[in-house]
Amino acid sequence: MPKKKQADKIWDAVPGYDFIEEVDLAAIPSWFLDGTHSVPPLTPLFSYQWARFCSHGFKAACSQLSIPTCKGWEIRIFNSGLYCGLHVVRDQEEIAQREVKFRQALRPWLEDFDRHWDDYKKELLGIYDKLKQLDVDRATNLQLYHHNYDLMEAYMRMWEIHFIGMYTSFNTWLLLEALTKERFGLSDQEAEFQDMMRGFDNKVYQMDKKLWEFGQLAIEMKLAKIFKENKPHAILPKLKQSEKGKEWLKQFMDYMTTDDIGGWRMQHFTDFNEPYWLEDPATPIGLVKDNIMRGNSYDLEATRAEIAKKRRTAIAAFLKKVPPEEKELFKGLIALAGKSSSYSEEHGLYCELSVHALMRRGYLAMGKRLARSGTIDNPEDILMLNPDEIDRVIMVPEAHDMRWITKRRRADWEKAHKTINPPVLTRRASPEEAIELDLLPSRDAIAIKIVVGEMPQPKPKLKADLWGICGCPGAAEGPARVVTKYEDLKKVQPGDILVCPSTNPTWTPVFGLVNGVITDTGGTLCHAAIIGREYGVPTVVNAQKATEKIKTGQRVKIDATNGAVYIL
Amino acid sequence: MSPEKLIFRFEELGREHKKLVGKKCANLGEMLRMSLPVPPGFATSIAMYRRFAKETGAAAEITQYVKRMGKLKGKNIAVFDEMSLKIRGMIESKEMPAALVKMIASHYKELEKKGEAPDGAVSVRSSGTESRPGMFETYLNVVGIEDVLDKIKKVWSSAYTARAIALRVNKDIPVTGDELGAAVSRMVNARSAGISFTLDPVTGDTSKIIINSSWGLGEGVVSGDEDVDHFVVDKKSLKIIKSSTGKKAKMVVNKKRGVEWGDVPAKRQSALSLSNDEVSAIAKLALFLEERMGRAQDMEWAIEADSTPPNNIVLLQTRPAKLTVKKPESVTDRMIDLIVQKFYRP
Repeated sequence: MPKKKQADKIWDAVPGYDFIEEVDLAAIPSWFLDGTHSVPPLTPLFSYQWARFCSHGFKAACSQLSIPTCKGWEIRIFNSGLYCGLHVVRDQEEIAQREVKFRQALRPWLEDFDRHWDDYKKELLGIYDKLKQLDVDRATNLQLYHHNYDLMEAYMRMWEIHFIGMYTSFNTWLLLEALTKERFGLSDQEAEFQDMMRGFDNKVYQMDKKLWEFGQLAIEMKLAKIFKENKPHAILPKLKQSEKGKEWLKQFMDYMTTDDIGGWRMQHFTDFNEPYWLEDPATPIGLVKDNIMRGNSYDLEATRAEIAKKRRTAIAAFLKKVPPEEKELFKGLIALAGKSSSYSEEHGLYCELSVHALMRRGYLAMGKRLARSGTIDNPEDILMLNPDEIDRVIMVPEAHDMRWITKRRRADWEKAHKTINPPVLTRRASPEEAIELDLLPSRDAIAIKIVVGEMPQPKPKLKADLWGICGCPGAAEGPARVVTKYEDLKKVQPGDILVCPSTNPTWTPVFGLVNGVITDTGGTLCHAAIIGREYGVPTVVNAQKATEKIKTGQRVKIDATNGAVYIL
Repeated sequence: MSPEKLIFRFEELGREHKKLVGKKCANLGEMLRMSLPVPPGFATSIAMYRRFAKETGAAAEITQYVKRMGKLKGKNIAVFDEMSLKIRGMIESKEMPAALVKMIASHYKELEKKGEAPDGAVSVRSSGTESRPGMFETYLNVVGIEDVLDKIKKVWSSAYTARAIALRVNKDIPVTGDELGAAVSRMVNARSAGISFTLDPVTGDTSKIIINSSWGLGEGVVSGDEDVDHFVVDKKSLKIIKSSTGKKAKMVVNKKRGVEWGDVPAKRQSALSLSNDEVSAIAKLALFLEERMGRAQDMEWAIEADSTPPNNIVLLQTRPAKLTVKKPESVTDRMIDLIVQKFYRP
């Protein structure tokens, strides 16, 4: 008996990062669920990497930028979900001291955001290129041992850059919102505000456009039939049967391998348990298929040009209201806030999606090595280990049997799919008090605008069934499609109202398909809100229990402008 | 004789008459249209000044003199002082043409007769087509037609105060570029007076109304020389969120003719010069003006000594509020300041 207990202690799901109530609540009073990144439940290897390096990135950025009121976040894992505890700076004098350096650190980003972000992009692409150079399937065990550390180092640096970009860009969005609210009664949940922040030409859009162009190319090459009549996985072998098909495929794979991002992009934003595009080209080919199915009536470029035009009109109309002395300030702020909109969309490609693809490639190769020696049952079981355990066994895999760990963790992980995580773990009296005392004083833009989100303000007159906040204004109606797993995203039909816990950049293409979007979590800068605006899809975010209360097939109406959802 | 009308009662005017009578008079007319409590009075048009200057020869004299002075940019302030003295003399020394005297006198008498200015006491203020706060002169407690005619000429000549000349030269506006109308209105016997802003002139915050007030006529408040009472009212709730008493040692009061600085009685020095009800009434008036004018306003008002609230507020002037820019700051500096103030100062 005591023996088993000891094993429990040492071999937790995510050693070092498992939530231990008596220890963690004593250190930080409240831990908030990161609903955006915790659904579906995360594998132990991914949880370990995320808890360790994402929280490092937070702390590094808060330190480098000297954010006056927050020293970063800690992350713990509970029931395969991520919980964030904030290091709130509460001492007035310390806040004042941090402010001095904060002012200096913020300045260059306000003066030239693009240049700094471009430099970081280059740095990241350089790191990824080095990782790609290792032929992981032919690498020696020693090389894989080192690769484990190279991946972690890349991950560490990615998160540092990620949060520096995010903190610097979001501050200007928040400031613009605060000023428009105070001076013109205009919040960032309103159409007038959001229309000023749409239609930017960034990498995500460029990639979507490229896929759209490949659809057009297939139509020109008279290959449309193959796409229309086959499921994504069957398209590729069919293409290989004709010369034209081969030619199209060659051009397509060239793009996937030579572009900065191309096929180095995970299907799923969080976790390593789904293939990346290059590993399984059926995913991007499926997107090309979607574009072809839509026919000629849909013109991505024209839609985007329209939104960009609307942006310029909205900005001009807004600036008319601004007193002359303030014009320059607002002009500058609007431009910078637009960058935060763009950044929060684009960074996903250069940060999480690329590095996760490389990590999947590397760890899967290690998994194959371990499975071959019987250390674990199959390659994917590597996702049930953590880097220290891999370090321990990768040099002489045949001498180890790690299945007693992988089996137990897999069972726990599968169990977590059936349970719902509480929104906050706290020693305060209520979740509201936890937000009041342990979240808001951090003034943390990322917590407030993305992860936790602002609370919906119901308008009783409208008699809605559910309330969220406006991510993208407009109204829409259609059959609900509740999607809680990435796999189910394929079931989404044109005209559906997508109902989901949250979205991330891998979900972007589906926005071209649906009439409206409702998410359980998120704020005005979360992914669903930003993409909703980019694609002109009415979007309600932070509707709390939408995926619980709405059933697939029910007809729903959304009045996104008012954050109202009706089940008809 | 030209049939052109050169003098107007305020109620004949509106915001469309800025070119005709200058901004202040057009605004006073506009305020009357909104049934706001503006002191009754009349406006002499800018064309009246032109006719005066033409008929008396002052215009030609000034033009010649300015021509002789040559290039003025970069000249010492002493040069502008000298010019001011000369040009103001050219205007003030001329006799008011009889036709103009007649017009002014009849309007002035009407004020007296109708009981709008029963003791004949009026103020004479400048009204130009451009907003130039503090550049031109105002004459308070002017009594009798002779004095009124004299002060109208002085208002006209105040287009050539040294500071106004210097401003025009620096901004590449012709030296003779400002021609003024005059606003003649009942002198308010103010118990207290002051200014209010619907935008914080320092931070640009538009969620609050800022009110500064002192005893007596408003001059001490407007010039910013004296310590004043300071009130902040929340626009949404109209609650007074801050009120602080300034030590008001001096005030401007009416004498028999004209006004003078006097001592504030010791007891009243550190007493608030407005009651809470008066602060609220002024705030409401300010909000109304902002809404009607479509942008933040900077207004001057007075509290009449002889009437009772809420009818004791008199509106003297309103104009678009401007920010007081302390030092030239870059947009980036302002953003950083604002980010720190809004988010990181508990």
